[in-house]
Amino acid sequence: MLKSIYIKPIITLFLFILIFACSKDEDPEPAHEEEVISLVTLEVTKVGSSETITYNFEVKGHDHGEEDHEEEEEDDDHDDHDGEHTEIELEANSSYNVSMKIFNGTDPDNIEEMTPEIIEEADEHQVFYAITDELSGFSISSASNDTKDSDGNPLFIKTTWTTTGETSGDVVGYLFHEPTSKTGSTRNDFGGATDFEIEFEVHIY
Amino acid sequence: MSLVDFILGIWTPKLPKYKCFKYSKLSKTVVNLFLLATSFCFSQECDLRLAGKVLDLHDNSPISAAVIYVEDSNETVFTDDNGVFVLENQCTQKINLKISHLHCDDLYIGVNLNKTTSRKFFLEHHIESLEEVVLEESKLKKLSSTAQSYVLSELQKDQYSGKGLAKALEQISGVNILTTGNGISKPMIHGMFGSRVGIIYDGIEIENQQWGQDHAPNIDQNAFNEIRLVKGAGVLKYSGETPGGIVVLENKLPAINDSLYGKSILNGYTNGRGLSFISSWTKSYSNGNYFKAQGTIKRSGDFSAPNYLLSNTGNNENNISFSMGKNKILSQWKTNFSYFSQEIGILRSSHVGNVNDLVFAIESDKPTIINPFDYQVNFPKQINKHYTASIQYSKRNSSNGKLNVKYSLQRNNRKEYDVRRGELKYKPAIDLTLNTHDLTSNYKWEKSNWSLDSGVFFQIQDNYSNPDTGTRRLIPDYLRTRLGTYFTASLTPSNNFGMAFGFRFGHQNNHIKKYYKNSRWEVENYEERLGAFVINEVLSQKLVEQRLIFNNLSFNTGVKLSILEKLKLSLNLFYTERAPDIAEMFSDGIHHSLATIEYGNPFLKSETTQKFVLNFEKDIGNFKYNFSPYYTIGQNYIIIEPTGIEYSIRGAFPVWEYRAISSTIRGFDFDFNLKLNKNFTVRSSSSWVEGFERKSKTPLINIPPFTSTNSIEFSIPKFKSFSMVVSNKITLSQNQFPNHNFETSFVEHGKRVDKLVDISSPPNAYHLFSMKFHWGPYPFFSDKISVSLIFDNIFNASYRNYLNRLRFYADEMGRNMMLQIKIRH
Repeated sequence: MLKSIYIKPIITLFLFILIFACSKDEDPEPAHEEEVISLVTLEVTKVGSSETITYNFEVKGHDHGEEDHEEEEEDDDHDDHDGEHTEIELEANSSYNVSMKIFNGTDPDNIEEMTPEIIEEADEHQVFYAITDELSGFSISSASNDTKDSDGNPLFIKTTWTTTGETSGDVVGYLFHEPTSKTGSTRNDFGGATDFEIEFEVHIY
Repeated sequence: MSLVDFILGIWTPKLPKYKCFKYSKLSKTVVNLFLLATSFCFSQECDLRLAGKVLDLHDNSPISAAVIYVEDSNETVFTDDNGVFVLENQCTQKINLKISHLHCDDLYIGVNLNKTTSRKFFLEHHIESLEEVVLEESKLKKLSSTAQSYVLSELQKDQYSGKGLAKALEQISGVNILTTGNGISKPMIHGMFGSRVGIIYDGIEIENQQWGQDHAPNIDQNAFNEIRLVKGAGVLKYSGETPGGIVVLENKLPAINDSLYGKSILNGYTNGRGLSFISSWTKSYSNGNYFKAQGTIKRSGDFSAPNYLLSNTGNNENNISFSMGKNKILSQWKTNFSYFSQEIGILRSSHVGNVNDLVFAIESDKPTIINPFDYQVNFPKQINKHYTASIQYSKRNSSNGKLNVKYSLQRNNRKEYDVRRGELKYKPAIDLTLNTHDLTSNYKWEKSNWSLDSGVFFQIQDNYSNPDTGTRRLIPDYLRTRLGTYFTASLTPSNNFGMAFGFRFGHQNNHIKKYYKNSRWEVENYEERLGAFVINEVLSQKLVEQRLIFNNLSFNTGVKLSILEKLKLSLNLFYTERAPDIAEMFSDGIHHSLATIEYGNPFLKSETTQKFVLNFEKDIGNFKYNFSPYYTIGQNYIIIEPTGIEYSIRGAFPVWEYRAISSTIRGFDFDFNLKLNKNFTVRSSSSWVEGFERKSKTPLINIPPFTSTNSIEFSIPKFKSFSMVVSNKITLSQNQFPNHNFETSFVEHGKRVDKLVDISSPPNAYHLFSMKFHWGPYPFFSDKISVSLIFDNIFNASYRNYLNRLRFYADEMGRNMMLQIKIRH
């Protein structure tokens, strides 16, 4: 009696095993991370000069005040202190044109520049530089060739940095996605989601 | 026509369910006894009394026209339509009764009498011959003979017909909901949720990525007419890997007669300006054929909290189900198709970038983005679809056995959309397709005192994680096969004692292919343990192929006995082994609404839990109660907790990883029902639970705080069709929580400040008051109409719920008024 009960299900089980056992042969395609911002560069040119210094800000950042673990290098043409901020050295009483470029480098064979995409969606993005109080006399303003959104607000992708006296301090550069306000004096005035947060030290000699 | 025939002719109209093809010897004897019955008693001290109720052993329905024969005195009485009988003026303290009924086994039982004895008696239907078969298939079998099972009444079920299964289950003590805003709710039983809670529909466990904290069950509870819940792994017939509990949704088999019936419900809500319409129709024929069609449509716009609108919280749902079958008494077959589709908006303000954005949101007392009211669901949102097709066959044979075979196919597609940029704006960030084939076969033997059920099951499940999303997969592709068997036995030698035992063994093989980022591979030093499984390297990622095998044995045992006349005690032990789910092992991604990165642990082993549950129940009289303390210990209990911070160009993100611990979860549920007088009834339902890691005594995360729902129901017996309920739900603040707070550094107004990221502190305690008015049923053309008016959160209280993952961004829903019109056809 037991046989007659179980024989039909067991036959069907075998059929199932045969049909489905071999279906996981193909390897899944790797997923491309198409919107990840992994590299931001600042191209700094002194007004009146043709020399441009490029500072790179890559995937790994660091913490303030805690021990550091693994790091990828933050290479630039100047100093490279492992675990410390990138330093941007500027001359006093000068002006600099700074152009920001944004890249997706998750596929090392195909580093994609995303700046055009962000400029195209100027209404949904905003760049902001937060300057600490130690940098008195230092200011960042929108350059004349900066992109403006449909309400006339500058995007701050191309900026002019003006220095006065000798000083140094931290600056944090942000890109906001869908900010609730396009103007402000501190990060929280803008709302939105932070797409990147790059920190660096400005040294004015 | 003889006198016997005449008398039987009188009695049969009262028993419409039972067809008499042949008068059995038994019934002739019964009738003869009736004719010969005389009653007499001794002259002194004859004031003992017995009030009895005769019920069906299977489903507690009353048995009318049962014969109660007192052997000592030759006295005979009959039960009325409610199964009630009274034996008065009895003289001897101990009497022997024989209770019988057509088509039932005789019950011989001795009863001790005093002045006011009251007892319940259970009769078991018995198939005497192939022609005289009683249709018990239309009634549902008990889920467990010893573990307490909670049923939602039709009123309770219909009240939440527009609000989803989890919210309907929340009415049961010990059940909470884990929510991601108002649109997504999952049931949590005694502090356990996700893959620890199983939802069984039509005998099959739903496979819909239930591991996710923000994955609501993709099921329409309106397609089922019975919803039951067992708090613990008490139903091994359906599932062995759900230590939290099991929710069983079933449909009763239609009767074998010509009929057309159904129900339509229309709900309207003020909060969200929502509307939902549910309708179901069943057509049955006297040849046993039947079909049932059911559909649900829900539409809702943005919900509002007391002080502001919750932008982008609208949702839509379209569901349809269809089943067709034939009920031939000795065999049945049934086929079922269903389609479930929902689009859920997720609070716009909950989409944050990094931890600093999260701090800003936590510090704002209002959501950062508030737009005017809209029905349109924008990003972020989820679109989930679930398709089911199944076929089932049962056959009963004459030796009290029943064979059942079922095949079902489930296809679930889950798309989760974030706020994205450029071409990716309209592409989901998560796109998972899960196909599951289930084949089960079981055999059940039943007699009046015992029942055995044994079966085998086989499952193949394929998960496809679409790489076209433009972002890395949250969970990898996998193929899972499960094969196993179960055996359950229950013994009820008398009405005062029952015991049950069961076990379930499952063999599981997970074949996974997953990409790991090289950076993560190096940080975790996976080369050592997983290096051998790498099959390809591309795009700075390694493709790893693994076959993980788990063998899990779960068992349970329990006893149920009457310790005092009105008090029933049951003690149950559930031992469960659960294999880690795919997310616990291979999760890999950012949760935007929490600014966290989650990583799975590929080295997890099966988790083992033992749960002891005691149940004290008094279900007779004006004061009924149910007190149930429980104690659960877990080994290799899998939890997720923060392990550090990952810094990237996007900022800081806390990293949460899975870990196995030894855990203890204990608590109690207490329900009572007190009938004050004919107008007022007081109901109360409370539950308390605490959970912590055994070694360090650190509390577990997301353990619900103490809650108590108390209500007063008012009804006037003269106006049977009106009732009113006023209720209060108090939720205390959870003061046992793990502290996962940390600090983040931030430049604000030119100064660098350190801010505390408080993601751990639970919100304050709160009260919610509601009122319900119910009218009906009243005749309405040829149908019956009922109307309900329900007010929730009458005082528009502003509160936050610890179990809401989006509690950092906004308050919970404010006042809501719901009007429901229900028509029974």
